[in-house]
Amino acid sequence: MFNGPSRIVEAIIAVFLPPACREEVLGDLYERYRSLQQYSLDALRTVPLVIMSRIRRTADPQLVLIQAFTLYIAFLSAAWFADRALLGEQRGLLRLAIPAGTELAGLILDDVYANRGRSSLLKLARGPAVGLGLAFVLEGVFWASDPNLAVPLGSMLYGCALSLTVSSALRMMFPPGADQLQGVSAPAHWLKQAGGTLGNARGASQVVFVIVAVAIATIWVAYQVWKRG
Amino acid sequence: MELVASLRKNLLIDIPADLPYDVGQMAKPDSLGQFEQLVLTAILTLREDAYGVTIHSEVQELARSKTISLGAVYVTLDRLEDKGMVASWLSDPKPERGGRAKRCYRLEALGERALQESAATAKRVWDVVAEIWGKEWAKEWGKRWGKEAG
Repeated sequence: MFNGPSRIVEAIIAVFLPPACREEVLGDLYERYRSLQQYSLDALRTVPLVIMSRIRRTADPQLVLIQAFTLYIAFLSAAWFADRALLGEQRGLLRLAIPAGTELAGLILDDVYANRGRSSLLKLARGPAVGLGLAFVLEGVFWASDPNLAVPLGSMLYGCALSLTVSSALRMMFPPGADQLQGVSAPAHWLKQAGGTLGNARGASQVVFVIVAVAIATIWVAYQVWKRG
Repeated sequence: MELVASLRKNLLIDIPADLPYDVGQMAKPDSLGQFEQLVLTAILTLREDAYGVTIHSEVQELARSKTISLGAVYVTLDRLEDKGMVASWLSDPKPERGGRAKRCYRLEALGERALQESAATAKRVWDVVAEIWGKEWAKEWGKRWGKEAG
């Protein structure tokens, strides 16, 4: 007699599990199956923690910080260019942080659910595109429910274009460095030390280079805008 | 890098100057949290049969009264793997798991050393506490543990 979860329930859980650990987690949940209720509860308790652990493994805190800074600057510049009055409004800066934060969340989740092994430039731009998709969905919800929280369309479009360009460039410079550890049997800690994404002196100098480049670009954009206005 | 310098001086062997990491770190494992100790102990106990489900049951048994979620075990295993204390690999798919593979774990030298240090520290704490609170207290706890262990 078949004693396992239904294929549909398993497929739903599989969608939420990051591909890197889908196989073993689904297998473990299958082995622990007693009833549908127990299985669902087990999955509900397990999947969020697995995703969190995956985020911890794939997200480099330094790189996330750079991306957050860059995305926010992109939306600020867009608002400066397209709708300067927004910057002076009471919640203007917070409103601009929402699409930037959503795009950042999209980038992080794209890394978590990325299928490693096949890398291409197009794939590196997929994360920012997913992030922008999420940002647009959230802004759409705001436009429909509470327009006071939404970013004006002009600023949103300029911000998206600028952030897509900048974050894609950032990802090409610092490709997501996850799973260096799982593909090999050498101790991960030492591999990280031997050349993780940003875990060495070379990485640190790249961070400084990016911050300086972003600062120069921002100053240049601001100067051009000031000269026009 | 002191260790490298010492090896170079004493053994007269040629070690490249630009080693990507400090070999001395291999002798200094990170200190372990209580849950990490439980997970490492479970892997040590299970030997060849250490994977998600069995590690979780073993940890549950070691933790006694606390309820442990499977997700917490995965999180800790990932962290221990990142620290270089355990290594993992995928086994062959099994029909009793719906045709899916297991991720098996084994203790690395760094993990063994960290666990030894934790056990030694726990022993030192036990000795001091038993000395201060007396032999009767130690006997009583010894009996209680004996009963719990069955």
